[in-house]
Amino acid sequence: MPVMLKRRLIALLNGQQAGLILVIVVLGLILTLFSGQVMDRISGHMQNGFFNPNNLLQIASDASFFAVMAVGVTLVIITGGIDLSVGSIYALCGVTTAIFLRSQPGLQAKDPSFIPFLASAVVCVGIGLLCGLFNGFLVAKLKVHSFIITLGTMWVFRGIAFVTSKGLSINMPQGLTGVFKATLGLEKGQYVVPSLLMVGVTILGSIYLARMVAGRHVYALGGNVEASRYAGLKTGRILIGVFALSGLLAGLSAFAGASYYGAASCADAQGYELFVIASAVVGGASLSGGKGTALGAMLGAILIVMIRAAIRTLHFDQNYEQIIIGTSVVIAVVLDQASSKLSARRLARASRTGGV
Amino acid sequence: MSETILQLKGISKEYPGVVALDGVSVDVRRGSVHALMGENGAGKSTLGKVICGLITPEAGTITLEGKEVHFHDPSDAVKAGVGMVHQELLFCENLSVAENLCLGDTPRKGWVVDRVKMVEKAREALNRIGAHVDPNARLGSLSVAVQQMVQIAGAVAKGANILIFDEPTSSLSYSESERLFELIQQLQTDGVTCIYVSHRMNEIFRLCDTITVLRDGKLVETRPASEYTNDSLVTAMIGRELSKESGPVAGDLGEVALKVEGLSCPGKFRDVSFEVRNGEVVGFAGLVGAGRTEVLESIFGLEPNATGRVTVHGQDLSFKSPQSAIEKRLGLVPEDRKRHGLVLGMKIRENETLPILDRLARVGFVRRGAERETAKKYFDRLRVKAPGLEAITGGLSGGNQQKVVIAKWVAAECDVLMVDEPTRGVDIGAKTEIHDILREITASGKAVLMVSSELPELLKMATRILVFRGGQVVGELAREEADEEKLIRLMTGIA
Repeated sequence: MPVMLKRRLIALLNGQQAGLILVIVVLGLILTLFSGQVMDRISGHMQNGFFNPNNLLQIASDASFFAVMAVGVTLVIITGGIDLSVGSIYALCGVTTAIFLRSQPGLQAKDPSFIPFLASAVVCVGIGLLCGLFNGFLVAKLKVHSFIITLGTMWVFRGIAFVTSKGLSINMPQGLTGVFKATLGLEKGQYVVPSLLMVGVTILGSIYLARMVAGRHVYALGGNVEASRYAGLKTGRILIGVFALSGLLAGLSAFAGASYYGAASCADAQGYELFVIASAVVGGASLSGGKGTALGAMLGAILIVMIRAAIRTLHFDQNYEQIIIGTSVVIAVVLDQASSKLSARRLARASRTGGV
Repeated sequence: MSETILQLKGISKEYPGVVALDGVSVDVRRGSVHALMGENGAGKSTLGKVICGLITPEAGTITLEGKEVHFHDPSDAVKAGVGMVHQELLFCENLSVAENLCLGDTPRKGWVVDRVKMVEKAREALNRIGAHVDPNARLGSLSVAVQQMVQIAGAVAKGANILIFDEPTSSLSYSESERLFELIQQLQTDGVTCIYVSHRMNEIFRLCDTITVLRDGKLVETRPASEYTNDSLVTAMIGRELSKESGPVAGDLGEVALKVEGLSCPGKFRDVSFEVRNGEVVGFAGLVGAGRTEVLESIFGLEPNATGRVTVHGQDLSFKSPQSAIEKRLGLVPEDRKRHGLVLGMKIRENETLPILDRLARVGFVRRGAERETAKKYFDRLRVKAPGLEAITGGLSGGNQQKVVIAKWVAAECDVLMVDEPTRGVDIGAKTEIHDILREITASGKAVLMVSSELPELLKMATRILVFRGGQVVGELAREEADEEKLIRLMTGIA
């Protein structure tokens, strides 16, 4: 087993994500070195301002809502499309679920119990799925580029969220917040559930893409639409599928997010679509299609949240946040391309000499 | 003026994974038509690209008119008088002919393009090579042959006295090729030195006076064309003698595998009916645009407007989607492997199993062992030359890419395999191997339908040949009665 694990680790380090992991580790080291000591509010111990469980979990939680959506958008990007509507789907799902729960006193239980949890999850994820199916159907049947379709539905979905919520913020039942703020035996304030969700979605996404027929078809479609058609793939169905999954994951993210923060409003996740696309692209997805991974999307989301955290930790002027993030996204993608070129060259050399 | 216009010495170029050129030296005589020959991957295209500055070699010198030159990009070469007519045309299809011809030094009045002068300049360039093309036409609307003329006109207008032709006839029809040959001969009399990269024997013997043969990136020899025979040239190219190819399988004809009745498609072809029996290779002959490819694509379900009746082993085929065709064990090796045949960014294994992944899966999960096994089996059977199954398809040579496309459909275990120009742009070694595979398939009692523009290939492989002209079947010849002359008469309609 350790041999197996070692091989996996080597494969990971040689793989597409190597550059990204390196950047995350280096940034983490820099932050650890320069963040100084702070006092832990609960235990009173002195600890590193960046490298402490609370802060790391905070970063992971912040990243998890992006990352879950980024996995879905990565699927769309691999087919050569784009989904701009995920932020709006998030808002719509959050708002409608909150309204639905408010109308059902039976589901307002303070303690997290299984049935209300399941019912609200199904509603939230289901609405996301419907929105995604709607996007996919339009893209596949009207044969209009997904940029245009989802640009339109981005406004439409947020508009529906605004109209149904009348622009108000609606509270989520405390029971749900309890589920997503469970510490699972860790210290108080260390909320680990969103991160677990993120890891779970990433693993499922990776299995889908790497092991399943449907995942292979997604790559083929993005690599060459015509060749996919000539190979007998149902291209329309594959497209509808990726948009449906993207919508579904936006719904899942909304369920986690609204529950975690305790309220939903139509202004939630405004501008998230760009963070999500940035995460996917930083994670190695190519906008021309055919390339991308779920793990990359998750790492991309973590990197972007870390950069935001770095601005705070290193006491940079907050006003420069957008400039720094914009620059970093571009640099990250350039670095990623350079490293994948390097590893391709290394692989080619290895195949020539016969060894690895 | 010396006799040698261009001298290459010790040219080497290495790519990740391959040595494309290994110390190649060639002298090109002034005013000659000089052939660079070799199998796919022999380095002939790479050498052509070195001469015109598209590729910078790692070692070696280029001496032009007695002076050593260093080309960093094609514009350096153009300035020195070296132009290229490229395999995949390097032009902007969305611009007009005139705009393309003046690209790089567009005439202007101040900040504004001088359209009148531009068109005039373009017309002048086109007239010089006797090409009758409207300078205002959008380039993309012209046929490949005409686009090629435009490219040649452009190179000549920029003062090229050396022109490199890289597989110029690979997408031209019979008559278009003829026009190109005439033009090359005319250029030669005008004193332009032509370097002709190809692996088509008959063209080479017809046009070229000197032949340089490359194999695996190394120079084999440079000799006058008159010293070669067909056989000795093949032997030089592949480094061994080619086994004599046998004819088609003369096995017993089985039951009807594919039956097509009254197949029509508005604007493409009409009322096409024929049968293909097990153990038979039926060939489609015709000029480019005669509707052969369209018939295959319609049978395969790629043409929603097609009407008629298609049955496979007596069962009706809806021919409205490729999925149902594949389910009924029909396969199509398309004409254009890069556009329709392969996902170039994917691995060989992934391309081979793409149409049949469902058969290699359990509840939606790919059975990786089974997939590898299948891919490996057909990879070996087609003798694909690649580092391995996990190599990216885009990095292979044309011939090996074509083998992967064929492996993909052989792996699908089709009862009826339709192949469209199965050996276009493929070297002789690979061609023989592809023919052998097709023979094996028919010998095992399956049916093959083959479109080819190379008449010798049809005459060699097909048991029967259907001739297409203007979207209709105008004749059928059995193997025994067919010859090139009869076929050409039927194809062109000249009695």
